[in-house]
Amino acid sequence: MASENQSKLIAAFATALNIDTSLVKDELAYNTIPEWDSTAHMSLVAELEDVFDIMLDTDDIIDMSSVLKAKEIVAKYGVEL
Amino acid sequence: MVLEGYQVKLVPVGASDLEMLRAWRNDPKISQHMLTKAKITKAQQIRWFEKVSQDASQKHFVIWYKDKPIGAANIKALDGKCLESTSVIEPGLYIYEDKYRANLLAFAPTLLLNDFSFYDIGVEKLKAVVLAENQAALNYNQKLGYTIVNEGPLIEIELERLSYEVASKPLKGLLSRVSGGKKSGV
Repeated sequence: MASENQSKLIAAFATALNIDTSLVKDELAYNTIPEWDSTAHMSLVAELEDVFDIMLDTDDIIDMSSVLKAKEIVAKYGVEL
Repeated sequence: MVLEGYQVKLVPVGASDLEMLRAWRNDPKISQHMLTKAKITKAQQIRWFEKVSQDASQKHFVIWYKDKPIGAANIKALDGKCLESTSVIEPGLYIYEDKYRANLLAFAPTLLLNDFSFYDIGVEKLKAVVLAENQAALNYNQKLGYTIVNEGPLIEIELERLSYEVASKPLKGLLSRVSGGKKSGV
């Protein structure tokens, strides 16, 4: 389940940011590539919520500044990674 | 008058904020994006505060997030009238705290200023100028619905109410949530 969720998270990033899955690394951060801007961030939130059936609160949406941070946040909502 | 919403609070600048604001404004990471880049002295800062405190055509705020000051914001009536009777406002802001500079939260103070300008004061449009090399600021403003009206070393941009409403709706949704959780349990 954990590795399946890892794959889902990477796919969610790739879909929302419209980038290749190979670019989705822990250190990838908001606004460091043109593809991860505020619009993509909104898509990313929607994608993660849809994939993991969760609803992020605003503090977490603000804190989700990197792939690593996103993993920590979805784990708080009970998603095993 | 304190403006509050979208997770942040805009508190009018007070005398006790002046040295913090001066340090921020003189930091090259902020001053490089300003039209005036010269260092501001303590005396200049005090004179500025005395002037703007008596000026009904502008308001200056410190941006607070989670009980911490993270930046500065302001609105000015472009025609020099008092804010309550102007039709065009120029908003401005910077986020000083690195953690929130490239962050969705950076939109929050602008949403507050824009809401106040369009819905409380009732202005027709907002105007701003951005240094041409400041692509990040241009992108930021375009995400809020601004359009370019004049290009040059200084790029002039404008925002009308309808464009703002359309562009800001999803951002407002994300920055206004009360709590999260498992969808099935919400």
